[in-house]
Amino acid sequence: MSQAIPWLLLLPAAVSLGAVSLFPILNGLWLSLHNTSLVTQENDFVGLANYGTLLGDSQFWNAWRHTIFFTLVSGVLETLIGLGMALLLYERFTGRSAVRAAMLVPWAMPTVVTSKMFGWLFDGQHGVVNWVLLHLHLIQANVNWYGSVDHALETIIIADVWKTSPFMALLLLAGLQTVPASLLEAARMDGAKSWQTFLYIRLPLLWTTLLIAGLFRALDAFRVFDLVYVLTGGGPADSTETLSTLSYKTLFSTLQFGYGSTLSTAMFLTEAAIAAGFAMFIWRQLRHPA
Amino acid sequence: MDGTMTTPRLADRRQVLMGAGLAAGAALLGAPRRARAADRTEISFASAKFFGKETIAQVVDAYNQAQGKVHVTYVELPPPSASTEVHQALVQQLARRSGTPDVFTQDVVWIAEFAGAGWALDLDQYFPAAMRGDYFPGLIAACTYQNKLTALPWFVDSGMLYYRTDLLGSAKPPETWADLVTAASGFQKDGKAKFGYLWQGKQAEVLVCDAVEVIASNGGAILGADGKSGTLDSDKAVEAIQFLYDTINKTKISPPDVLSWDEEPSRAPFTGGEAAFLRNWSYVYGIAQDPKGSSVVGKVGVAPLPHFPGGKSAACLGGYQYGVNAATKNREAAIDFLTWMSSPETQLHFARQLGIAPTRPAVFGDATLAKEQPFMVSLKDVFTGATPRPVTPKYAQVTLAIQSGVSKALVSGKVKEELADANSRIGTILGK
Repeated sequence: MSQAIPWLLLLPAAVSLGAVSLFPILNGLWLSLHNTSLVTQENDFVGLANYGTLLGDSQFWNAWRHTIFFTLVSGVLETLIGLGMALLLYERFTGRSAVRAAMLVPWAMPTVVTSKMFGWLFDGQHGVVNWVLLHLHLIQANVNWYGSVDHALETIIIADVWKTSPFMALLLLAGLQTVPASLLEAARMDGAKSWQTFLYIRLPLLWTTLLIAGLFRALDAFRVFDLVYVLTGGGPADSTETLSTLSYKTLFSTLQFGYGSTLSTAMFLTEAAIAAGFAMFIWRQLRHPA
Repeated sequence: MDGTMTTPRLADRRQVLMGAGLAAGAALLGAPRRARAADRTEISFASAKFFGKETIAQVVDAYNQAQGKVHVTYVELPPPSASTEVHQALVQQLARRSGTPDVFTQDVVWIAEFAGAGWALDLDQYFPAAMRGDYFPGLIAACTYQNKLTALPWFVDSGMLYYRTDLLGSAKPPETWADLVTAASGFQKDGKAKFGYLWQGKQAEVLVCDAVEVIASNGGAILGADGKSGTLDSDKAVEAIQFLYDTINKTKISPPDVLSWDEEPSRAPFTGGEAAFLRNWSYVYGIAQDPKGSSVVGKVGVAPLPHFPGGKSAACLGGYQYGVNAATKNREAAIDFLTWMSSPETQLHFARQLGIAPTRPAVFGDATLAKEQPFMVSLKDVFTGATPRPVTPKYAQVTLAIQSGVSKALVSGKVKEELADANSRIGTILGK
């Protein structure tokens, strides 16, 4: 009896986690093996047929590549910019708390609002970005930011970097504050320059935080939806289609729940692989701190 | 009411009827305001949310008060801007086959899907051919699936050509695409307009509308007549999409920005006075005539879209239509409500109070409407050319393939290859 009590106490947590987290994943997996569609009213088990279609689906691979590219580029940029911001905000200066609060504004803004805002900023004809670049003579003619396959995805990345760098900064700032002040002081007394302090003291102690923040960011970026949905809808010529927008179209616009679940499962597997990669590094970092 | 009219007007008659109903109700002093549910057939009506001076709920209420046999409960769905959610809500309800909602409204592109699934009641016996002649033919075509009428027109909107009357002067609006190009580039050359012609090339539903219009105006189509195969690779379709590509790259009457513009971004430069011509829906007129946001007040005219030589002007059909749930347990009551909702009187009421255009050409002749909504009345010619988008139960999948294919054709200029590619994808979807 006394042995059962801990398990009994864990039961409510296990049940609720299972219901909201495990069940949807398993149900999605199960659904991905069916040709369920609300429109055609089919709901038959088709084995791995959907996965066969998926492997040969150029739309899927197109979206998959865009999503990976988006995750990689935005993740790296946000980490670097976030790190810079965190280092600045760590220092004492007048108005620091006001700046710290203001810095979070982009991140706190609903993404749909950000998207609309960037839509106007980067408008090809009346956008302020083109206006500024033209007047600085950096470009010769208006750039068609969202209407050309060469710029659409990078514009979305810029919007995402603006929005999410503060979030990275916040996480990294928390990490910086765990670096013991005594170490920094000792380094200063030994005559270390500030870049040396950064490279040999702060950065090594920040690795774990960096990896965890990167993991958060990568998983979040991989699901990018609102920016794309509002700004381009996946166009032009599918050049900004991501896995989330493609899944949304398949699941909710065409109501193909079977194949849509296959897409979601593929997304889940890719995310799991990314998470596993990060987890490996984090694990190593925790066991053998630099 | 001015009371000087000698001929009775539709709206007057209805209001008299309603007045009589209210008076009768008031006569039964102490009696409940409406007959109780017990002696009336209860049905439900689900519709996306539209509103103007009145709401749909108020119109439904008017029906409830106008007669004593049926009581309709109105279920409000999200607005049409959230059409994916409206579609989902309807499909979930209809697929359950529980009979609710008894009557619903649907976007014109869902009609075939709902009919193909057997969710929409066949209305042939209630609205025989003679009665269908009272509606715009393009609308009846859109409401018909496999030779059966499965929807009834509610209101219509379509694509149209906006032009600047001050630029055009006494010249007539262009009738062919070649005329449009000549006129537009002329205005651009003279510095009268920054942009010649604006349209919507964003990879979205509106791109399908723009594509349907040019293709149909060349005598082409996206799907074959049986709806079982694609014809997007036909010479006529290729020529039409090539024309759109050329507006950006060859004749340069359109900026490359149209490739990322849907309705509103393309509307703004036009009402800002920067463009000579614009393809858009009827809502633009109100904005163009509002001095608060428009610099072209009183300088805007509307005409049917141009066509290719030998073709006819085509306007992509929009709007919502009625349908009856095939599983309804109250068929008679549903039909009674439907008949009332689609009657000339109610259509006139919708036009005056909610600003949505009638689907019966005859209602456009009403004198009150001509006075209150002269613009709407002038659209009768435009709506006559209304052309449905591809009619297939798999429209939701087909439209994504069209959007992707046409967008690729417009971006790359490989019109023939990209359309052929999209066409084979459409074939795969329809063949499944």
